[in-house]
Amino acid sequence: MTRFAWLQSRTQTLTVAAILAALAIAAAITGVQLAHLYNIDVRHCQSSCDLALSQWLSRQTFLQHTLDILSRVAPALIGIFWGAPLLAREFETGTFRLAWTQSVSRSRWVLTKLGMGALATVVVAGALTLTITWWYRAIDLASSNQYSLFDQRDIAPIGYALFAFAVGALIGAVIRRTVPAMATTLGVYVFARIATTIWIRPNLMSPLRKFLALAGASPTSPVQLGVGMHNGGHLQLFAKGDGPEGSWTLTSHLVNSAGHQLSPAQISTFLHQYCPNVGPPPLATKPGQGVARVIGPDAGRACLEQVAKTFHLVVTYQPASRYWTFQWLETGIFAVLALTAAAGCYSWVTRRAS
Amino acid sequence: MTTAIETETLGKRYGRRWALTDCTLSIPGGRVVGLVGPNGAGKTTLLHLAVGLLQPSAGSISVLGGVPAAGPEQLARIGFLAQESPTYARLTVGQHLQMGQWLNPSWDTDFAAQRVAELGLDVGQRAGTLSGGQRAQLALTLAVAKRPELLVLDEPVAALDPLARREFLQTLMEVVAIHGVSVVLSSHLIADLERVCDYLVVLVAGRVALTGDVDELLACHHRLTGPRRDVSDLPGNQSVIEESHTEKQSTLLVRTTDPILDPAWTVTPVTLDDVVLAYMRQARDGGPRSTNHLAVAR
Repeated sequence: MTRFAWLQSRTQTLTVAAILAALAIAAAITGVQLAHLYNIDVRHCQSSCDLALSQWLSRQTFLQHTLDILSRVAPALIGIFWGAPLLAREFETGTFRLAWTQSVSRSRWVLTKLGMGALATVVVAGALTLTITWWYRAIDLASSNQYSLFDQRDIAPIGYALFAFAVGALIGAVIRRTVPAMATTLGVYVFARIATTIWIRPNLMSPLRKFLALAGASPTSPVQLGVGMHNGGHLQLFAKGDGPEGSWTLTSHLVNSAGHQLSPAQISTFLHQYCPNVGPPPLATKPGQGVARVIGPDAGRACLEQVAKTFHLVVTYQPASRYWTFQWLETGIFAVLALTAAAGCYSWVTRRAS
Repeated sequence: MTTAIETETLGKRYGRRWALTDCTLSIPGGRVVGLVGPNGAGKTTLLHLAVGLLQPSAGSISVLGGVPAAGPEQLARIGFLAQESPTYARLTVGQHLQMGQWLNPSWDTDFAAQRVAELGLDVGQRAGTLSGGQRAQLALTLAVAKRPELLVLDEPVAALDPLARREFLQTLMEVVAIHGVSVVLSSHLIADLERVCDYLVVLVAGRVALTGDVDELLACHHRLTGPRRDVSDLPGNQSVIEESHTEKQSTLLVRTTDPILDPAWTVTPVTLDDVVLAYMRQARDGGPRSTNHLAVAR
């Protein structure tokens, strides 16, 4: 059965492998070149190093775009083009009746197909993410927070790809038609990714807290602080800060000296008391003009100083050191989801499908 | 004689619809058995249950004494050709034979190669580009080369043109002659079955309407034509399957193993077609069919 499963999938697998190999070779050549330029222009720069760095970063090549797009869509492509048709095409064309009446049990048939597909998925997704992570390492280090590319680098994409493949196979077995199965697979995959990003990942480990002083903060400083209004509504306080270097900031909000978060009523009272001169002159602007009123420099500064004296900013964040823990957790979650989908697919084919 | 397929109050339900209900039958082995019935009679469902593609919703079925598709051994004993002869469109003829060899322990490589050569199929050609007749022949080769004890064919010639149909059935008869394999094949074309089958099972609405040896069925059914008369006073050994009356004349299809003695009747032999259609109508209408409203109901 293994040989037959390979016979069925080898053209597709070898094509993907060839594309991947070409990509890896191109990445190896340009990657070395990129590192070389970085050493010369940026690391050993004599003057105007920031300019050198930004020039180096702006070298947008075709390969960079290709790898960037692939890093986002490769798992979904695997789910759509490998997972969904794996069983759906057999059902759609009736060949499952041919396969199931050979001298091979149905469970062996489905396990072999799933197993070989999963193996190919892990190898392909692994090689791809290795290539991308390696090629981008210098750029990532220089330009961005590691958490901002969390789902496009390192091992998480392998978990995504495995999940997309297994869920595609399950959906294909249930729907039994290739194109609807492909579309549904895409929908389920995208939903699972968004749901994980929004609801699960931030809560996997309890975040750390950090108090930030607001002294000297302004709307343009690293710790941002401002006062204004939207659409002619109530006067509001805006405050925002970040966690330490390389960390993933989850929330930031103002607290009073007792450490309690401020209610809108408290803020309103405070502003009324300490910032009476901030805000629109009566009837000066029509409501609903959509622009925050420009605050008079003196009144605004006095107000913000008072805010800085009275309140602190609390930032919750995941430290940089937890990056790999999160990578493993995310990969693990999707691997478990993939296993669940594969088990559902196995049970559906061996018991329900007929 | 062994039993090829035996069912006991077998039923299969899809959702709320029963495709096969209360089907009890025994299909003998060592024969070429034709399974006939109108569309929707449950032929395909019955055959899929027999090869283990479906699980029964009610009752039981045993094939060659075993549970269908219970394991690789049971699967190896039965060759199946599904409706419309599915093959992998992107695999070549040769790759299909390779598949047969890999997936079947008793695969007959020589037979398969010889068969494909006789059929004039190019082993390098993709199955998706074969004609309907060639594809059916390839699928039959796959089913036969695994050397099964029983060959189950679901409407194998329905999609074929008359020439391809004749060639297919000829191949089938050769295979039966060489390997002595039992065959069950379904069709709604009685003419095809007449040529190859020596045993007949007529299925109507999931029930067996008629079963028996083809020669015996032909020998014991007669068409009687004579002056118009009431059928209720016929001899007790003659059962009326179908009757039709005009003002002056009555035509009956009767079943009897005894000679017909009444000189008023003109006795003519019947075709298998006549017999099968009469039983199908009878089963559908729940009694002998009459074209005259004055006929006395039995």
